[in-house]
Amino acid sequence: MSGPDFDELVGGDELAPEERERLRKVHDLLLAAGPPPELPAKLWQPPPEKPVSAFPLFPRRRQAALVALVAALALVAFGGGYLAGDRTTGLETNRVVQMFGTEGAVSARASLELFEVDASGNWPMLMTIRDLAPLPAGATYELWLTTGGKPAKLCGVFTVHGGATEVWMNMPWKLKRFDGWIVTRTGSTEPLLAS
Amino acid sequence: MAAVHAELTDGELIERIAAGRRAAFDELYRRYARAVLGLALRRLGDRGRAEDAAQEAFAAIWRSAGSYRRERGTGAAWLYAIARNAIVDGLRRTPEPVAEALEVPSGDAGPPEKAEAAWLAWRVHRALEQLPEHERPVIELAYYGGLSQSEVAEFLHVPLGTVKTRTRSALQRLAGALEGELG
Repeated sequence: MSGPDFDELVGGDELAPEERERLRKVHDLLLAAGPPPELPAKLWQPPPEKPVSAFPLFPRRRQAALVALVAALALVAFGGGYLAGDRTTGLETNRVVQMFGTEGAVSARASLELFEVDASGNWPMLMTIRDLAPLPAGATYELWLTTGGKPAKLCGVFTVHGGATEVWMNMPWKLKRFDGWIVTRTGSTEPLLAS
Repeated sequence: MAAVHAELTDGELIERIAAGRRAAFDELYRRYARAVLGLALRRLGDRGRAEDAAQEAFAAIWRSAGSYRRERGTGAAWLYAIARNAIVDGLRRTPEPVAEALEVPSGDAGPPEKAEAAWLAWRVHRALEQLPEHERPVIELAYYGGLSQSEVAEFLHVPLGTVKTRTRSALQRLAGALEGELG
């Protein structure tokens, strides 16, 4: 496949030879790969619902028995599952708060996904924290709502294990009363992450 | 909604999909829809069948997300395997004559070479989707639209210097995303 002139694309001589060679390889890969197809209208949106397999996983004669088994399991699971809580399905995202590391944790970041308030008036929240330093055993981090940048209401306590950590929390506070979110180390008011 | 997932890796998205998270699936679809369709087109040739196969591939991703284990490999590799298998399964169910891939003419390459070419295209197309919105058109118009830099500038209504800056920046981003392919 013929393509654009590489030298015209990257310009003159200001690139170091190694960088030029690196970009040249990208240029070659783009040509070798060819264009990605344009999506037709029917593929603009992802499938609306979680699809059901188009193919039976079991032979037809076993399906009736399977249905009965699933029904029985569902009854058992309802009780235990209700107590354990279905922490994911059925939750609608209300808003997402991005948090960034302060001087005390420059590379750390987090996103806080707040779901619609539940029937009891609590906000289910999923916090994804990345690159926040693990703490010694027994030490914890805290998520706070702030007023005037100061910790005002505690929303959760958590630990991290390095890399990315997901923490589910729940809090009842009305957000209008607050101006931000911070993460501190327990016992400190210094923000390590702030919205 | 997408903002929260935009920073997640493919693997993290797959893990969320396994937990039933619709928003994670939508983000993964945004990243891979064109790559999956490209893979299906490469394998099937026929556009209509490829579109059906792409939909089936995403259905398979939904169904199979629970089988993903990050310690076994990248999300991109897992997705490639799931999508490829779904496309091949579709081919077996409807064994119509298969057109050869446009990019790999018949007889020019054996199965290993075709597989390698498909994987490479998968990575490149995925990397293109990672580019910022203002950089991707510059690359696609130059490489796949046949436009010169001046024509790209005219088409996008931006100065030529901006096109050059964006082009170089995009190539550098792609180099980072495709580090493993640059050997």
